[in-house]
Amino acid sequence: MKMMTLAHLQKIKTKGLKSFLPHKVRIAVGLGSCGIAAGAEGVYNVFHEEAKKNTLDMSITKTGCLGFCGEEPLVNVSRPRTPLVIYRQVTEDDARAIVSQIMGNKLYDKKVFCKIEEMENFIQPEGIKYGTGYADIPHFYEIPFYKKQKKIVLRESGLISPESIDEYIAVGGYANALKVITSMSPDEILKVVGDAGLRGRGGAGFPTATKWGIARKSKSDKKYIICNADEGDPGAYMNRNEMESDPHMLIEGMVIGAFAIGSDEGIIYVRTEYPLAIERLKIALEQARAYGLLGKNSSNGFNFDIHIVCGAGAFVCGEETALIASIEGESGRPRPRPPFPAVSGLNGKPTIINNVETWCNIPVIMAKGAEWFSATGTSGSKGTKVFSLVGKVSRVGLVEVPMGITLKEVIYEIGGGGIKGKKIKAVQTGGPSGGCIPASLFDLSVDYESLQKTGSIMGSGGMVVMDENTCMVDITKYFLSFTREESCGKCIPCRRGLEHMLGILEDISVGKGKMSQIDELKELASVVKSASLCGLGQTAPNPVLTTLRYFRDEYEAHIRDHKCPAGVCKELISYSIDAESCTGCHACVRVCPTGATSGEKKEVHTIDKKKCIKCSACYETCKFNAVKVD
Amino acid sequence: MGTTLDKIIEEYQGKPGEIISVLEKIQEVYGYLPQEVLKEVSEKLQVHLSQLFSLATFYSAFTLKPRGEHIVHVCLGTACHVRGAPKIVDELSRLLGIKPSDTTEDMKFTLETVRCIGCCSLAPVLKVDKDIYGYNTMDKMPKILANYKG
Amino acid sequence: MATIVINGKKHEAREGEIAFQVLKREGIDIPSLCYLEGLSPYGSCRLCMVEVKAGGRPGLTTSCNLTASEGLEIETETPQVVQVRKVLLELYLAEAPGSKKIQELAKKYGVATTRFTHIDTSAKGDRCVLCGLCVRVCGEILNVGAIHYAGRGTRTSINTPWYETSSVCIGCGACEYVCPADAIDIVDQDDERIMETWHKTTLKLKECAESMKRFATERVVDIVYAKNQELLKDLKDLSPDARRRKKAAQFIFKPKDK
Repeated sequence: MKMMTLAHLQKIKTKGLKSFLPHKVRIAVGLGSCGIAAGAEGVYNVFHEEAKKNTLDMSITKTGCLGFCGEEPLVNVSRPRTPLVIYRQVTEDDARAIVSQIMGNKLYDKKVFCKIEEMENFIQPEGIKYGTGYADIPHFYEIPFYKKQKKIVLRESGLISPESIDEYIAVGGYANALKVITSMSPDEILKVVGDAGLRGRGGAGFPTATKWGIARKSKSDKKYIICNADEGDPGAYMNRNEMESDPHMLIEGMVIGAFAIGSDEGIIYVRTEYPLAIERLKIALEQARAYGLLGKNSSNGFNFDIHIVCGAGAFVCGEETALIASIEGESGRPRPRPPFPAVSGLNGKPTIINNVETWCNIPVIMAKGAEWFSATGTSGSKGTKVFSLVGKVSRVGLVEVPMGITLKEVIYEIGGGGIKGKKIKAVQTGGPSGGCIPASLFDLSVDYESLQKTGSIMGSGGMVVMDENTCMVDITKYFLSFTREESCGKCIPCRRGLEHMLGILEDISVGKGKMSQIDELKELASVVKSASLCGLGQTAPNPVLTTLRYFRDEYEAHIRDHKCPAGVCKELISYSIDAESCTGCHACVRVCPTGATSGEKKEVHTIDKKKCIKCSACYETCKFNAVKVD
Repeated sequence: MGTTLDKIIEEYQGKPGEIISVLEKIQEVYGYLPQEVLKEVSEKLQVHLSQLFSLATFYSAFTLKPRGEHIVHVCLGTACHVRGAPKIVDELSRLLGIKPSDTTEDMKFTLETVRCIGCCSLAPVLKVDKDIYGYNTMDKMPKILANYKG
Repeated sequence: MATIVINGKKHEAREGEIAFQVLKREGIDIPSLCYLEGLSPYGSCRLCMVEVKAGGRPGLTTSCNLTASEGLEIETETPQVVQVRKVLLELYLAEAPGSKKIQELAKKYGVATTRFTHIDTSAKGDRCVLCGLCVRVCGEILNVGAIHYAGRGTRTSINTPWYETSSVCIGCGACEYVCPADAIDIVDQDDERIMETWHKTTLKLKECAESMKRFATERVVDIVYAKNQELLKDLKDLSPDARRRKKAAQFIFKPKDK
């Protein structure tokens, strides 16, 4: 298969633009995992049914995620020379109405979210223009959720079809891979990536060009490049979205990287819990092969292909050496480093492992140059980062922000602050390897160094917001039980050290803790950090250390006063009904699983503490705030 | 079934690194990893049986026991945890009468906890087979289970 | 040859040596459980940690995978190293309360008791420290693979598949030989060798044709004999003692030239 040429690519681009910006109505339904879970498949089917029923010539396509997951299903509708209109929380009935209005040449005016007049497409020099108009519909970047975002990696997610290579090419895709392979040397590529200041987006933030340089220098008949798509941090799903919404961006990044390093074999290691991402990647790989962008290429002598390896449910396989062991057919037990994978990795050969998002940044860096890329961010942290903003925050979803934005801006301006008027207490970054940053530090800049100074880490991008009803002892117990469960068990500090630490936290959360145990916790944390074999163990104590540092008062309340201030730890709380507020509506009795709540209708109800299992169903149900946590 | 196994073994002959894919395919076919099947794999693909057992017990995706007709996965990711996932687990445990990782006696349901399905915006999340349910509360549980009882 | 500094004194390291090998060779005390000459560094026991002062990434690191390159300076008894070692040994005492060897090792470094309780959450018994040597010797060196890790994390144990008697074990005893914690029990009883720890896997012992002594399992003898049937035929039927006597007899009764 001859490698694709720039001339051929131009032809496909023209074809792709006809699909992406057709001379007819185009309806794109957000069909990422979140959209599907919210009912988007049904909406998509209705559009097809209605189009068929009315023999309408419309383009109905799948698209990825626009990031505002809390508003799914999201649907965008475009017509020639008019702005793209985005609808939110679209139901099947809305879909029927949208079509009906289209038939009448009108715009359905319910559930309208925002419009896009010109796509901020960072690869395509000419830009993508939809059209101007609809003065009373707010623009995409006027929406508070999107205002402070800067979509570079997610520039086309939710707009192009993730299952069409032609559309990817239409918006500038693969042009840079071809340009790079035909006119640049590996060293020139490394210089651009180095000057851009790209750091690994998987968590450690290691300078990407430095890592590539080591593998490039290593003399070997075989070199591998691997995409680490084993995104295991609970609460983080950036990579899932990147693969589901724009898989070709990842492939293009790997093609460029393979050329720079001198590799002919790429592997994408995806966790098995992401079936849609796997499916979309498979389709994309087949399409790339069909166009000669992957596989044996006769021109330039550059042969490179990618295959997928699935994980099998082990968080530790996100660690480089464990990931390699897994690909080699072994259990994911990490191996001592040195030797580092860049020197001796998969099958003993030089191997470069980078996170999905790191690879996704490569095409845009090569397209726009190092100076452009490094103009965003701080002196030490260049570019943007995609975060999954989740938890006790009003607006939940995937946000892409420039490095250097403050936590406050992300949580309050983008995220809209707390829910149900609750006060935000902390934000957890870096998953189980990270830490809890208190609200008092929200003026901090989001960059690698600042987050590290707090005792947390940037991590892969999970950002979980916690409010006054989150118990920091409980949250720490949660993270430790996660790392304990996912520990491979090879080395004793992680295998048993974490378990003993968890035992102490369990004692504290049931009111059996002693102040001396806090010292023991710190001592164990220090040993586990310095003696563990791999990053899982070395960072597992971080949630403990940060909560002890910033929320010691909560620990002391549990130990000294046998109280859980947030009202979470079951053994330390009890529920009762406030006689003044209770209206006797009987709602709590209907939801109580053990019959602990009782009372006559329209009379004050009570809770039998002996029967109460503290499931909090009554607390959540009561509309009059009559159920109190003691 | 015998020929399906033969096909899998044939496909992976001479590819020792891909043994995990073999186990994944076997579990797809049988619903779990039967001892007899693994013994055959060990023989035919020249992989130590102890290695296969080691892999089967290391990776959470594998199970050595047959599972129920419907697998109920409750997500215990961070976002789901802060939004009440533990209570969902407790409620399902109570309704089904089993602990997580166990299967009901009538082999209808298996209850599993999973760390992050990746739908954090819909927390707390629950998955039954391929169906994802979001924004779960305890009172929604009986209705969801009823969808699969028929 | 490279010069490295250990605890302030210069030592010569041979080509390709790792720091741990230099320490051992120079008689400098350093504990370890999972290191075995001939096997690549495994990094599971964490006891051979030293502190790097110069010539490498500063801080604590295991010495079993630290190249002894020119300019390396390490310390084996800094307060941090001693502290980490002590806590690790406390963890080991709680992990394997039944192992005398582990108790001796801990005592040597001043750790007689442990704060931590023994949590029996796995099928591995109270002597195994999960160093992995038995697995690696059985699997990588002998290519028998009768045992392997089972489970993950705190429920890890080293076991036979499905915790049943092994059909591939050859009863060579290499697992017991390399175990640093004396966690493996093998009993020779009459004409059988019982691998107690491996769920009483039982193998027949080979009887010497001459002395009737039982010197190895039939399986081991068969495997060795199969390597070269002509050259090794005495190995098949005679115990080591009987072989020595036979060989000696050849010399004594060598015919003289008349």
